[in-house]
Formats: sequence, structure tokens, C-alpha cells
Amino acid sequence: MASIALPGMHGREVGYSGGLRVVELNIGAQHPASGHMRLVVYLDGDVIVRVDPDIGYVHRTVEKLSETREYVRIISLVERMTIIDACNVTLPYVEAVERLLGVEPPPRARYLRTILCEVNRVASHLYGLGIGGIFLNHSTMYMWAFGDREVFVHLASLLTGSRLTHTYPVFGGVRRDLPQGFRDEFEKAKRYMLARLREYDKIFFNNPVIRGRLEGVGVLPRDRAVALGATGPNLRASGVRYDARMTGYAAYGDLGFEPVVGREGDALERVWVRLREIEASLEIVERALRELPEGPFMNPRYTKAVPPMVRHWLEKGRLKLPGGYVRLKTRPGEVLSRGEMGRGEITYFLVSDGGTKPYRLRIVTPSARNVVLFDALARGHTLMDLPAIYGSIDYFPPEADR
Amino acid sequence: MATTGGGEEEKGGGHRRRPGLVRAHLDAIAAAARRLAKPPMTMPLVEYGDARHPGYRGVILFDYDKCIGCSLCAQVCPSRAIKMYRVPGDKRLRPGYNIGRCIFCGLCVDICPTDALSESIVHDKVYSDVPSMDMDPVDWALWSREVKKEEESPEKPLLRARVDPERGLVYEPVGEAEG
Amino acid sequence: MAVDPLAWLSSATGVPYWALRAVAAPLLYPGLATFMAVALFIIWAERKITARVQMRVGPLYVSRRLGGALQLLADGVRIAFQEIIIPEGAEKWSFVLSPILAFTVVSLAFTVVPGGPGVYGFRSSLSLLVTYAIITLTPILVITMGWASNNKFSFIGAGREALVSITGEATLLASLLAAAMMYGSMDFVAIVGEQAASRVPGIAANPVAALLFFIAALLVTDRVPFDLVLGEQEIVQGPYTEYTGLLFALTMALDYAKLYVLMLVFTHLFLGGWAPFASPLLGSAAVFAKTVGLMLLAVFLRSVYGRMRLDQVASMFWSRLFPLALVAFVISALIHPIYTP
Repeated sequence: MASIALPGMHGREVGYSGGLRVVELNIGAQHPASGHMRLVVYLDGDVIVRVDPDIGYVHRTVEKLSETREYVRIISLVERMTIIDACNVTLPYVEAVERLLGVEPPPRARYLRTILCEVNRVASHLYGLGIGGIFLNHSTMYMWAFGDREVFVHLASLLTGSRLTHTYPVFGGVRRDLPQGFRDEFEKAKRYMLARLREYDKIFFNNPVIRGRLEGVGVLPRDRAVALGATGPNLRASGVRYDARMTGYAAYGDLGFEPVVGREGDALERVWVRLREIEASLEIVERALRELPEGPFMNPRYTKAVPPMVRHWLEKGRLKLPGGYVRLKTRPGEVLSRGEMGRGEITYFLVSDGGTKPYRLRIVTPSARNVVLFDALARGHTLMDLPAIYGSIDYFPPEADR
Repeated sequence: MATTGGGEEEKGGGHRRRPGLVRAHLDAIAAAARRLAKPPMTMPLVEYGDARHPGYRGVILFDYDKCIGCSLCAQVCPSRAIKMYRVPGDKRLRPGYNIGRCIFCGLCVDICPTDALSESIVHDKVYSDVPSMDMDPVDWALWSREVKKEEESPEKPLLRARVDPERGLVYEPVGEAEG
Repeated sequence: MAVDPLAWLSSATGVPYWALRAVAAPLLYPGLATFMAVALFIIWAERKITARVQMRVGPLYVSRRLGGALQLLADGVRIAFQEIIIPEGAEKWSFVLSPILAFTVVSLAFTVVPGGPGVYGFRSSLSLLVTYAIITLTPILVITMGWASNNKFSFIGAGREALVSITGEATLLASLLAAAMMYGSMDFVAIVGEQAASRVPGIAANPVAALLFFIAALLVTDRVPFDLVLGEQEIVQGPYTEYTGLLFALTMALDYAKLYVLMLVFTHLFLGGWAPFASPLLGSAAVFAKTVGLMLLAVFLRSVYGRMRLDQVASMFWSRLFPLALVAFVISALIHPIYTP
């Protein structure tokens, strides 16, 4: 590739590639619409020839750190990969360890986990829609989505005591029981959100300017989506009927779950799938609240070892852990567990040698899988389509970098 | 709820059908204009403080007398914010608290066998230098007493959030609602 | 108003009245001083209106009792203290002089656009054309800004400005000419006089031309949904990326100055100018109120739309709006008899 210095031009003209004259543009780490990453875009005039995502800015060595911590201390660690979707990211890990420990959560705990997972999913989708909005310079969608997300963050803080970093599922159950007044607050939140979705349709989804930006942009055909390993709403918008919740973990098996599947595979379809998934999640939470089974919220194997002086907390709906919880030993073995986060499927592969700390914890997050979509979708589009594509695939750098 | 994107509708029909161009523009403008009349959803945090609901995981408080020095809190803390200290004149180890490292997960409170640790509703504390965030057990115990007083009589009037089906979140002054 | 202050000043100092008026109008009203006040107000209003639509409050604490109205003053003072950085590889004199020149050129429009009956710099039978010519001088300076910055994002922004200005100004000229044809004159004073005499404002007579003018004005002044030249999510700040300090304030003021001038022109062409008042004071107030109202509408649209894509803007203007201009011409030809003096 030739390097020509043009007087007055910053950077280099990269020469010729496939008969096209290309210029390298760094949508770099310091850019209003790049997130915590750099996108090296190769442009021929206004047409994108190639996109190289330069990721790793938020790499925090989560996998390596897990090898030095006891199992219960890893829950907060993996939660930090995707703080906005906290329950969905920790639940598969907790289930993996539970399988190695040989302990099962009681039914009530499974339902409570599902409730929090779906509340988090709504918040996560609203976050993605907001970012998608601002990338098209639609500041109203951005503010509305983030404002409405506050309602669901508030709900989560009622249930768990914390707005974002819940650390709610633990081995054997959950940390708190359903508080008084949660059902009422949720019912009001659901009414509010359904009305707001109609407003989103008017100002964003059916807005002719936004339609023009999203319709037909970044089309991902069905077979390509499967071949690339895309996941989450990006996969379902292309017509693939797959969602990790179909495997029936937590209470999804009891409640019965149907995924939202699109057809066209363009950016508009991905946004549509996320909007419909918000409605679906609200339905699931309502059903889970209605069918919530009675019983303990933590497996008696652990609660029976709690000192008598503090047992009164269990009746009040707050968990107390036995002293041995820190040094839980699992049986040696390997286990693979999956879950569906807001952005897609997350996979944990846990290898244990029988000690109190894992031998190896391998994590594949949905954004790490979706990063290939930048190059796959953006080729042939103009520079202005790049933020539209970025917003529609809902890529979250801290999650991808782990 | 099975939702599939349309069957054999014609192009532009089905789940993505959009009302005509002029209608869509007017709908968007009307949707924005309608919001002009409604009150904002934000909390005025300068004049008021943010009261979280009871049970919120704020800072961790320490009761020196209840502690038995089992050091379970230091063992379970994911970020090693609690360290055991040897306090002169005390035969047991006692925990110290580095609020800078704390992630407010509350596992230490969950595992404490004597309820010596508790969570406060106070969640926003400001420090001007890093070393002052690291408290030894005695400092922690004394600081906890001050925070407990602050819980009862806060410096600023407090607002608590509540979900409202029309407005999303509304904020109510704390104290009047409880009486 | 019984006493005209300029007449009094002229008799007191011996300077001819027309000379005083030629200086007072561009500097005081509707010129720079008024523009500063309008910019202060309209940017605050933009932030407040957008905030209200978005369920938040907007600027509030700078002057609490005024609801944050002096926020822009605080921002301006802060920007004045910011260091003006000239990149090393930039073409220094073009870099510094082009925003200054661009703003000066737009301010020249205040000499011909009247602010009220008798309130203008000088009157000419071609004042409409002069205003348009002045507005069209700015794109070349913006392109200079983009090239001189020695930055790839600025360069792309300059390319967009070239495309946008050709597209927008063609439509603007077409709607202007349609309106001028309707009135049979290119003189603002005569146009307003005809609207007052026949009691039909231009917007009722030729709404197509009015709509075209408004949309083209949004494109020329880089307002959402056509804020392509700024293009924050793709090209950082477009041609203005490398500017800091007071130069940056000038570049931002440039867009608002163009919006102010274009909305003044809209008021005169389509809303009857200072009708139904004839006295300088009330007439000026009417013009001012109508202009600010139009600017508020333009600013409100920011909360409704996102950004349109470059090729879609070009195709929308050339294939749909420009032919509508022909419709506007036909309407003008038919409506023309209403305005014959």
C-alpha cells in the first residue's frame, strides 16, 4: 500500500485497495460516537471499504482475576462486565457453580431471579435504544429512553437494594425476598412503559427521518448471521429463532417462553425486535409475579447453618450467609452454562479442580461475538451509516473487552 | 408471546408499516409538543438530597461491641475493602474499612454472624483525599455513630422516588409521607 | 413615538440623517447588539425547550430567578478565556481569518434588511437580492475553514458544506424568486407595503413558497434534521473541529446569525413584516416578535428529528422540493394580481 503525503492532510492516504483509492479515518477513542474503542475506517470517498474495530480499551482481566478469588467473590467481579444488565450477566455463572456444588435454588428463588433478569433486560434495551437514538443525533429518544430506564433501575433498587450492581443471585438462591409494594410499583411501571412505547413509535420508529437512516441499512441475511455467530436481537432480527432462554433456565421453563423474531435483518428490524422484547419482558415479569411460588428464597442447605442470633433476618426477607460460604468447595469438573443477556447469549465455561477457587473461568460475552458485525455490515455503506449500524447492533465495549 | 415479523405482507406492510409521510411528521411533532406541557422527571439535587428507600445498600456501619473478630467480613469482601487490624488493648482482631475500595455489595453484612455490620441508607459521602477514606476499626465505629445520627437528621430536605403511571417517577419529600 | 432619536442626534451633531441610520441599523437594531441579545435568548430557549420535551429542566442555576437565562453569558465568558489554539499544520491566516470574515459578511446583511418601518441601513430596490447574495458568500469561507484546519474530519465537513450549500441555496433562491415574482418587487419595504395594502400575508397567498423557504433555511443554517455539516456523530464538529475559544464562538454564532437574517427575511416576505402597525416602535416590535417566534419554531424542531443522511438530503431537495418550487412559481403567477399596486 503506497503512502502519499498530501499537503494539508492529516494522516495518510493509504493507497489503493482492490482498485479503490482509500483514506484511513480514525473514528478514534476520542470521538463523540465511538464508545470506548477505536474504529479504523477505510473510506473510498464516502463509501466504507473496510472497518477495523480496535478494541481492548476496557480490558480488565476478569477471567484471570477469577482464578485468584473464591467463588462467591467472583459474582461481583463478573457483574462489572455489563453493569447495566447485572442479573443477566451473573446468573449463568451462579448456575454453573451451583451445578458443580450440587445445589439447586428453591422455586421461589428461580422466579425472583427471572423477575430481576427481565427488569434488567428492559433497562438494558432502553439503554441500547437511547444510544441508537443519539448516534442518529436524535437527542429526544436518548433522553426519553434513559429517563424511562430510571423507572426500571428504581424497581431493581427496590428489589435488591442497589440501582445497578445488584449481586442478587447467589449460590442456592437469591439475596432478598420480594419487598412489600413491589407488585404495585411494577404494575404502575408497566402501564407507564407501555404508554411510552407508543410515544417512541411516534417520535422515533415511525419518524420519516429516522426511518430513512435505519431502513435497509446494515442488512444481515439469515445465513450470514448464523455463519458470523451474531447473537441476541441482531440474530433474531435476521429471522433466526434462537434465544438462550428457550433452554428453560431459571423460571423460563415454567413460565413458557417465546422469542421475538424479526424478518428483514436491517437496522430498523433490530430496533423493532428490541422494542417488542421490552413488551415481552413486561409480560414475563407480570406472569412471574402472579405465579410466584411460596417458600424459602434460599436453599435450606445453607440457611440451616446460619447462627441463631441472626436468623430473624431470614424471616424479614434478607439473606444471612453461613460462615462456610466463603470457602465453598466444588467438586472437580467442567461445566458450560449459557444465559441470554439483553445483547445476546453469554457463555461461561468453568473448570474446577476441587478447590475454593476456579481453575479456569472462560467467558464469551455477546458483544465479543457481535464485534464482527462492524466489518460485515458496514462495507459498502456510506460514512453516515456507520453510527446507524453501531447503534443498531447495540455493542457495549466493556462487555466485549471483559 | 410469539411475535414473528409479518407473513406474506407486501413490502412496507405488516409490522413495520408506517403512516403516510405528512401524518408521520405531524405525529412526531405532536408527540414532542405534548411533552412540553408535562413536568420534568428529574430530581432537583442541589436543594434536596436523595433519600433512598429503607433497605438501600449505602455505606457499611460497624458496631464495635457486637463484633467477635471472626474476620468473615474480610474474607468475603470481593474488593478487599475490609482488613483485620490488631487494636491495642483488644485480644481479638477487628475490621477496618476502606470506603474507597468498597463496592457496597453488602456481602459482609450478609455474612456477619452477630449483626455487627449493617447497611446505612446514607450513600453519598465525599472525601477530599484518598488516605482519609481508609478507616481503622475505632475510627470506623465512631464514624458509624455519626452516620447513624445523619440518617435521623439529614442536612438537606430529602426526596424519595416513587413510580407513577403518568409521569414515570415522582419525588416526594421524606418525613411528611411517614409522619 | 414623537421624537426620532436619530433625527435629534443628526440635528445636534450635524451628521446627515442617512449616515446615522446606515450605522445605527446594522449596529443596534436589527443589527449586532440585537443579534447578541437574540442569540443569548434563542440558545437558552433552545436548551430549555429541548429540555422540557425531554422531561428534564435545562439550564437553571446561573441566574436562578430568571430560570437560567444568563447561562449563555456564563458560557460566553468562559469561552472568551479559553486559549485559541491554532494547530501547527494549519494554514494559519486562513484558519484565523475565515470565521471572522464569515461573521462579518453575514452582519453586512443587517444593513439592508429592515427591522421596522423606516428602520434600515439603506433602502434599495434590490435589497432582497443583496441579502441573498450576502448569505451565499459564507459557504466558501466555511470550506476554507475546513481545508485550513489540516484535519480529516474538517475536510469531510468542508465537502459536505459544498454539497449542502449548493442544494440549499438553489431551493432558497427558487422560493425567494417565486415570492419576489408574486410581489413584483425585490425591495423589502415595497413588499411589506403591498402585503399591508392588500391585507393578505404572503404565507396565505403562496404557502408552498413559504414552506420551501423555511425548509431551505433550515438546511442553509445547519439545523436538525439537516445538521450534516456539523455531523457530530460522524465527523466530530465538521469544519469547526479544530476551533477553540472566541473563534469557536464565532463559528457557532455564524449559524445563528444566518438563521436570524433568514427569519427576518421570512417575516418580511411571508408574514407581512411590520403590518398591521405603521409606527417605527410598534412596527419594530412586531417584526422582532415574529422573527423570534420563527426562530423558536426552528429551534423546537431540534427535539423532534434526528439527522438525515447526506444522499437523502440531496435527493429530497433536488427531486422533491426543487420541483415544488416550480409549483410555487405557478402559484405566484396566478396570485400576482392581488399585489399589483
